[in-house]
Amino acid sequence: MRALRVASLIAVPFLLAALAVGFFLFERQGGLAPYRIPEDSGRVVTSDAATLARGEYLARIGDCAACHTTPGGTPWAGGRGFATGYGMIYSSNLSSDREHGIGAWSVDEFAHAMRHGVSRRGPLYPVFPYEHFATLDDADIDALYAYLRNLPANASVPPANRLDFPASSRSALVLWRMLHYRPQAQSPAAAREDRGRYLVDGLGHCAMCHSAREASGALAEDGYLAGGRIPGSGWYAPPLDAKQLQRYSVGQLAGYLRAGAGDHGAAYGPMAEVAYRSLQFLGEDDAVAMARYLKSVPARPTRRTEFILLPEPPRQQAAVGNGAEIYRHACADCHGKDGEGKAGQYPALRDAVAATAPDPINAVRMVLYGGFAAATAHNPQPYSMPPFVQQLNPAEIAAVTNYVRETFGARRSQLTAADVEAMHGIVLD
Amino acid sequence: MLRRLSLLVLLFALAPIVSADDTTDFGVRLAACAACHGKHGEGVQGAEYYPHLAGKPAGYLFEQLKGFREGRRVSTQMAWYVRFADDAFLQRIADWYATLPPRTRGADTGAAQLTEERRSVAKNLVEHGDPAHDVPACSACHGANLAGLEPGVPALLGLPVDYVIAQFGAWREGVRNGAPPDCMHDVAGKIPADDIRAIAVYLSQQSNSDGVRPSPAGSFVPPQACGSLPHAEGAK
Repeated sequence: MRALRVASLIAVPFLLAALAVGFFLFERQGGLAPYRIPEDSGRVVTSDAATLARGEYLARIGDCAACHTTPGGTPWAGGRGFATGYGMIYSSNLSSDREHGIGAWSVDEFAHAMRHGVSRRGPLYPVFPYEHFATLDDADIDALYAYLRNLPANASVPPANRLDFPASSRSALVLWRMLHYRPQAQSPAAAREDRGRYLVDGLGHCAMCHSAREASGALAEDGYLAGGRIPGSGWYAPPLDAKQLQRYSVGQLAGYLRAGAGDHGAAYGPMAEVAYRSLQFLGEDDAVAMARYLKSVPARPTRRTEFILLPEPPRQQAAVGNGAEIYRHACADCHGKDGEGKAGQYPALRDAVAATAPDPINAVRMVLYGGFAAATAHNPQPYSMPPFVQQLNPAEIAAVTNYVRETFGARRSQLTAADVEAMHGIVLD
Repeated sequence: MLRRLSLLVLLFALAPIVSADDTTDFGVRLAACAACHGKHGEGVQGAEYYPHLAGKPAGYLFEQLKGFREGRRVSTQMAWYVRFADDAFLQRIADWYATLPPRTRGADTGAAQLTEERRSVAKNLVEHGDPAHDVPACSACHGANLAGLEPGVPALLGLPVDYVIAQFGAWREGVRNGAPPDCMHDVAGKIPADDIRAIAVYLSQQSNSDGVRPSPAGSFVPPQACGSLPHAEGAK
């Protein structure tokens, strides 16, 4: 009896404190409001030609179709899979099908899903960048809605998500939101003030790849555009800030965004897809605005993003030996004896992201598999880099990558054959 | 008149030179392709799997490139290279390889041999098919000289054994899909595995020593209606 009284003396304050923290966190993610799907207000969105064209442009800049289409599949029918730390998540059908798409949604419901990440199907997984879309102004939401509603209906049903418990439960999403989601004020004023920021932080959702993440997968509070390994993709996204982008003029950076290539290199990996499907359609003014804003973002101190980095030195025998010689035979023809590249054809390696990044994975993957830059309106016949996976063994690839990173990136690089083997495998999605 | 004619002749004589310059320039962009398919699409000696591309019909090459991009043909490597290429660029690549001279040597299949009996089975299937099982001859569509037919039928000369066998497997399993009706899917399902191997070895040993190009469109009429053969007999 006495023991019980003591136990409750300890437990009751503890439970009360837990409740208070829970209440505080729940309120901080917006309370109950995000879970109330608004009634159809009856507001009609005009779908004249200009609005539809505007919506199409915005959908491209948001790169919506890239995620909501399977490779080679019907556009907008959803079903593309995303490998996350919690399991596979499949994108939804955005076509105008009333049952399986969003054809039955009112504009109010659409706006709510975009801004709060909750639809009639429940809270949405944060793979959907609603935190970013929350900043969109009404006119842009309306134009997107009008455009999507005019797409042909498609009755495809995307595969069911395959998630581990407890992430498989939608109520786990409420907990996620309590811990990680902060509703953003929608700010048309900011949009008018800084178009570039509006595009980068809103539709462009650049931070989804270019911001640092916590081990939980959530965007880190101090990691805004600070760079990091992109979850599930096997690629590193560089920081986007004044320091990283110093070598670009505003014009060069705007040109790079639209062409997918430029004087300081070509987009590869996931960024090639962004150039191909999205940024090549950027209007020049918008590209310049984005470039100007990105070049103004203050650099953050490099974070220790443990999960992307290799074990600490001392390493067993990093391969250095013949890196210089391999470089001379295999790389120098295109990238130049001193890593200077050839303007308009082959990127310079000096100060290139692959050479300077804390994470060596981009360099290794490029040497292993090469690739084509994206074919875009401003770079219709791109150059390519050959794969070396058949010609060089893992130790040689480690050696030449170490050479490039140390010589042209001023980066201590101690990759071994085993590290290179661990990065084998083409990741298409 | 004569002067005008000679000007025309001169223009024709110059044309290949001009386009040769142009093609060299374009080919530089395809370093990634050259690693496996050869600098001029002639194949790489010792690379036993990858097919040569030079001189194959542009329509065929374009369809394959699009197929890799859209998943009708499954190859992780090829998908990696073509996934952010638009139709115009793929067409340009196809045109470039199509204009190059076909490879003249056979495949590098030193070890692959056939017994006399297996060889005659293969030769017979290639030249006459198996009418009892509704299998057309290879030559009926790919040409009596197996050099292909514009615009959609590739040459079968000197392809690596493993490549040909892998294609038959891919057609049978639906990993490689042509435009419907997909003739090669039907044909591949009717040939026993052992005969597929014999055909693959036999074809690999056929060289195109004269560098024969695909027959012009319409120069003969294939017997089957295939999606990639709009001019075939049954398609009419």
